[in-house]
Amino acid sequence: MFEAKGLMVFYENMLALNNVSLKCQEAQIVGVFGTNSAGKSTLMYTLSGIMQDIKKKEAMAGGERITLMGEVFYQGEDIMSLKPSQRARKGIILCPERRRIFPESTVLENLKIGGYLADSVQIKATLDYVFTIFPALVPLKNREGGFLSGGEQQMLAIGRALMAQPRILLLDEPLMGLSPLVQALLARSIKGIRDERGVSLIITEQYARPVLPIVDYAYILENGAAVMEGTRQELMDNPDVRAAYFGI
Amino acid sequence: MEILVYGIINSVTLALMALGFTLVYGISGLPNFAHGALYIVTGFIAWSFIHTLKLNFLLAMFLSLFVTGLIGAAIYRLFLIRVRGMATSEIIASYAIGLAILEGLRWGGFKGMTYTLPVFIEGSLQILGVQVDLQRIMVVVVGVVVMGLLWLFTHYNRIGLALRAMAQDERAALMLGIDSDRMAVAAMFLGSFLAGLAAVVLLPLGNIVVEAGYNVLIMAIAVCIVGGLGSWIGAILAAFLIGFVQILTVVYIESHFQIVVALLAIIVTLILKPSGLFGRQKELEERV
Repeated sequence: MFEAKGLMVFYENMLALNNVSLKCQEAQIVGVFGTNSAGKSTLMYTLSGIMQDIKKKEAMAGGERITLMGEVFYQGEDIMSLKPSQRARKGIILCPERRRIFPESTVLENLKIGGYLADSVQIKATLDYVFTIFPALVPLKNREGGFLSGGEQQMLAIGRALMAQPRILLLDEPLMGLSPLVQALLARSIKGIRDERGVSLIITEQYARPVLPIVDYAYILENGAAVMEGTRQELMDNPDVRAAYFGI
Repeated sequence: MEILVYGIINSVTLALMALGFTLVYGISGLPNFAHGALYIVTGFIAWSFIHTLKLNFLLAMFLSLFVTGLIGAAIYRLFLIRVRGMATSEIIASYAIGLAILEGLRWGGFKGMTYTLPVFIEGSLQILGVQVDLQRIMVVVVGVVVMGLLWLFTHYNRIGLALRAMAQDERAALMLGIDSDRMAVAAMFLGSFLAGLAAVVLLPLGNIVVEAGYNVLIMAIAVCIVGGLGSWIGAILAAFLIGFVQILTVVYIESHFQIVVALLAIIVTLILKPSGLFGRQKELEERV
């Protein structure tokens, strides 16, 4: 349903993504694990179309020359040339690294902004859903996004992305910098989003352990290349992978 | 008392002039130096509607606002979109467009003292023992109402919320399906509309002269720099600060010091606190 083939991204002459291909089936949770600078965020930006925008801006400002190659298919259609807003309309929504909450807007406003593409019925239903899975946000409704804790911001970021009615939700390091308790809670919520709403998810993480229980299939990214892939069990059976990414 | 009453009127006047400029800058980081030209153009459009097409007065006013809004949107769509992200080029391009509009008007024969817009309401009123004509009270009312409506628009309307999102974090807004070019067009429409609105309430107080376009631009820039670029609250406070200082110079020194006050305010702000009263210094934060 969602498939990337032979993605290559160059920043000037630096190869950031090297021939990466990945697949995500309907209602599947796919993990992408890799260390810092392995190309996780570049991959997410490329899948969501943000890379197109960065490329355009860099070119206009005379900055870095970015080269993009490869194809991204969504339901059989090549969407590589689409702008981020067009991809978002198709249901491909990125929830970015470091959350990028709108700091001067309240929690409720952040969520409403997330519902920019949704109609009023969807907005109401999704708002209820977000407050059900993240009850911690309810008393914070009118607080400005910048005054939330890291865990609350992450809940808000996921909620905001849900408001955009995603079919494929790209979560870029959603558990980064959070306590183990919050990590476990978020992992459960993420699984719930898949189970209850049938959303497909692609999740990147540096450290795979907290999301391992919920992923169906995973890729290991090293220096921009997908060096290994397999089901959760296959990866866990590999001693090198276990030592490097799972810490087991 | 005179200082208080006319200070408030002058401050709201400045705020009205600057609102469109600060809105466009706040949302899309675009310094729209054609702002003053759009202000004057609205005056001439309204004048043409009334005198050439013989339209009803209120209808002419509203139509001219929409036309100005469309002109602003077109300026973005046709010209500024090509230099997006390059601040210097944006300034040069928008200033050139403004210059072309203003000098084009002058060349086209729109000059001299013959062009005036009718006032909304005639008559005057005693406020705190000061004689004020009703049009000036209208200015204050319109200014306050517009600020209120803008606040409601940016807090409750879908587009308004998206505009604010764009102002805070463009990339995060993109991820949610908000199109940056479309938002910039909307911001330019709204900014030009506000420039036009300032024009139709302020121009009846005097003649429509091309030179006023430059003054309006300077005032708008002064207010925005003192208030902190892109900050709406800052702009309103700065308008009151500069507005009252101007009235004080009029009362105690001489009336043509008004523009000097604006220019001095720019210089002093840039020396003492370059980010202005409420500047966000976005770029600096991003680099850290």
